[in-house]
Amino acid sequence: MLLTYHRLGGLGIALWAITIGVCLFLLVPIIFIAALSFGSSRWLAFPPPAWTLRWYQELAADPRWLEAALTSAKVGLLSAALAVLLGLMASFALVRGRFRGRNFLKALFLTPMVLPVIVFAVAIYALFLRVGLNGTLVGFVLAHTVLAFPFAVIPIVNSLEGFDKSIEDAAVLCGASPLQAKLKITLPAIRIGLFSAAVFAFLISWDEVVVAIFMASPDLQTLPVRIWGALRQDLTPVIAAASTILVAFTLLVMAAVALLRRRISR
Amino acid sequence: MATEATSPRRRWRGLGPAVPALALLALFFVIPVVSLLLRSILEPQFGLQNYAELFATSTYARVFYNTFLVASVVTAVSLALGYPVAWLLAIMPPGRANLVLAIILVSMWTNLLARTYAWMVLLQRTGVINTTLMKLGLIDEPLALVKNLTGVTIGMTYIMLPFIILPLYASIRTLDPAILQAASLCGAGRWQAFRRVLLPLSAPGAAAGGLMVFVMSLGYFVTPALLGGASHMMLAEMIAQLVQSLLNWGLGSAAAFVLLTVTLALYSVQIRFFGGMR
Amino acid sequence: MTPAFLSIRSLRQTYGSVVAVDDVSLEIPEGEFLTFLGPSGSGKSTTLYALAGFNEPTSGDILLRGGSILATPSHKRNIGMVFQRYTLFPHLNVRENVGFPLRVRGRPEREVARRVDTMLALVRLDGYGDRMPGHLSGGQQQRVALARALAYDPPVLLMDEPLSALDKKLREEIQIEIRRIHRETGVTILYVTHDQEEALRLSDRIAVFNRGRIEQVGSGRDLYHNPATRFVASFIGDSNFLDAAEVRAEGGRGRVVFPDGTTVADLPVHRSTEGDGTLPAAQVMVRPQSLRLAGAGEGLPVRVLDVTFLGDTSTVQFRTAWGQEIWMRAGADDIAALSPDVTCDVSWNPAESHLFL
Repeated sequence: MLLTYHRLGGLGIALWAITIGVCLFLLVPIIFIAALSFGSSRWLAFPPPAWTLRWYQELAADPRWLEAALTSAKVGLLSAALAVLLGLMASFALVRGRFRGRNFLKALFLTPMVLPVIVFAVAIYALFLRVGLNGTLVGFVLAHTVLAFPFAVIPIVNSLEGFDKSIEDAAVLCGASPLQAKLKITLPAIRIGLFSAAVFAFLISWDEVVVAIFMASPDLQTLPVRIWGALRQDLTPVIAAASTILVAFTLLVMAAVALLRRRISR
Repeated sequence: MATEATSPRRRWRGLGPAVPALALLALFFVIPVVSLLLRSILEPQFGLQNYAELFATSTYARVFYNTFLVASVVTAVSLALGYPVAWLLAIMPPGRANLVLAIILVSMWTNLLARTYAWMVLLQRTGVINTTLMKLGLIDEPLALVKNLTGVTIGMTYIMLPFIILPLYASIRTLDPAILQAASLCGAGRWQAFRRVLLPLSAPGAAAGGLMVFVMSLGYFVTPALLGGASHMMLAEMIAQLVQSLLNWGLGSAAAFVLLTVTLALYSVQIRFFGGMR
Repeated sequence: MTPAFLSIRSLRQTYGSVVAVDDVSLEIPEGEFLTFLGPSGSGKSTTLYALAGFNEPTSGDILLRGGSILATPSHKRNIGMVFQRYTLFPHLNVRENVGFPLRVRGRPEREVARRVDTMLALVRLDGYGDRMPGHLSGGQQQRVALARALAYDPPVLLMDEPLSALDKKLREEIQIEIRRIHRETGVTILYVTHDQEEALRLSDRIAVFNRGRIEQVGSGRDLYHNPATRFVASFIGDSNFLDAAEVRAEGGRGRVVFPDGTTVADLPVHRSTEGDGTLPAAQVMVRPQSLRLAGAGEGLPVRVLDVTFLGDTSTVQFRTAWGQEIWMRAGADDIAALSPDVTCDVSWNPAESHLFL
């Protein structure tokens, strides 16, 4: 009976109470920040004495925020593109290859996801200090590509495993060269996986803080670095405004993904 | 035919397309991490003095203690809160389940800094939680909820909950309700059915999720650094400080190596006993 | 020797120490419908894939119109193929699927459109052009796959168990379609199946595969009436095997004494090529429908084990005096007198049975 929803009885009420509590716990801080970003209190009093767009105006007036957002977008797009491209090629090897050490390679490809980010951040910081890539766009992109890579590989490998290679073989027998068959048949068929990979990879880079803190220079900062810097000074409501925009952006991306996926798979 | 000559080629068949990714990871992941670890025994001179210092100094010992304490408490609390949610989520009607899942996913994908910032504001001395509690007359003066391990634990639990709910949800969902009906026909009451059937069957999922949360908590940087504060430092922040502020690369690398070893050891336990990741 | 339209010569395919195809040779005239029949793992699909160019044979050669095709990559072989699994391109509709090979070949759009119409009419799917593969039944998908494989007029069409995912009724329907399409287009078809009924229904000739080798090639009638080996005899049609105690063979005819002393003469003799020393000595093969009841003392004495009523026919299981079980298929009326534990004699026309040495 414990796994039959309608037979839970009193237990069900207890479980629901905890679930609703946890949902509120997860949701309230986010809503709270969004509310405060429109509140007039500089000291973040809640409920706010009045509503205002002042913090958004302050945000817009400071070109450093916009610059940081642009940097974030640039780094995110480039890292995502690179991670998806390399991930796609690697996935073909992982799924179709019959070489020794395939499982080792798979494990290696997923390691950036499980290794504590701080270890990687310090390590790549040390390397980039030495080769002069610290504080450069290239450095940012390379470091974020490494972090985003597993998140690109997983959905692509999954969709490629679900794709029957006979379909590609059929295209080859129809007269398409092996490359043509991959481009015209296989890639469109696994496009949902590619799309998820691109979104995941972008969001990983877009939200990444730890490596970015080490990588950033005063001239080149991503949005999270900028927020981090501001947070260490004070808790100004401008950060609430910036956070709200970030959250709204992520929600928008997720909603777009959900919509597109539904459309693609139809 | 040339069977012998082609066999070494056959051994690596299909590896080609992975080479660019392999090169990227080798150059910008494996080499930097390995050379970082080497610095722990090479700087300032060859030997294990960095490890000796790390384990002998009480300040550092305190950091290790903080880190394991917070990670344990966060894991325990997340499991206690997450298990009922995952359980109900696994059996509730799909419409409501999607709503709960959406809430969990939104929170998970919300920018980490934004979420941590929210808790900094909520938990501060003049924050909503303190003012509400005072208004209700439950406390006379504000509680210190931030800049200490309490704040870190609350913030981390908040971050980690989705990571425990989702795998546990996936594992409970694969259980067949008929098993529990069978248990009750066998005469097991609710408590017996839970303790003897549901709990053991969902234990692998709980253990996997719990282990993942524990490991992630050990190496977490952002939330402890913002909600903790200098006197309540955790391992990741200590590593960052050692290399960035104190430029003590030898000691920082040694601490990173300790973190890395513990992490990989725990993950290999997970892989051995609960199968691979995902 | 003038080479046939398509000829497979001493084809051999090994994977490490595993021999998947062992010295397979076949000469196939233009327009023939040839089926590779055999159990799974017998090498029939591997041979087909060598023709498609998906595996590189270890040795041997494949010639089309006298020229070797082994050096030609798959996409330039101009061979059509229908696969076991559904292989329609999931993101293209039916028309685009059928037109794909033509567009790859750079044919003008007008010609593509005309050809696609023709092909859809051929497989009787006109009006389905705008459907997506996901919205077609399995049978329709395989018919589109057939149209796609024939769209570019390949000299040879390969079919790898194309109907194995379909249910029996649909399978029979499409078998009839395939026969009609073969008649209408005259394309040479190599068809792989493990289903003997399908092979018999479709083919001009059948090549029976076993353990990487071809045991026998011939028309269905040939294989049924004159099986060259025990394997063919047991794989095509139903069969009973009876151990012989004594054998005398002269000039293609043999005389057999069974363990209980019953003697049968004038049996056609086959010297089995499959002999590896481990097979039981000599065996007589009789089809269940060749058996009939005989008067006392005029045949092989047997005891009835079971009688099963199956509508048009019935089957009877017997045990011989030395303990072998055989069965007979007969009209229900012919065996009305039989019930378990009754003893009787069975006999058969020796010319319809076979003696395997």
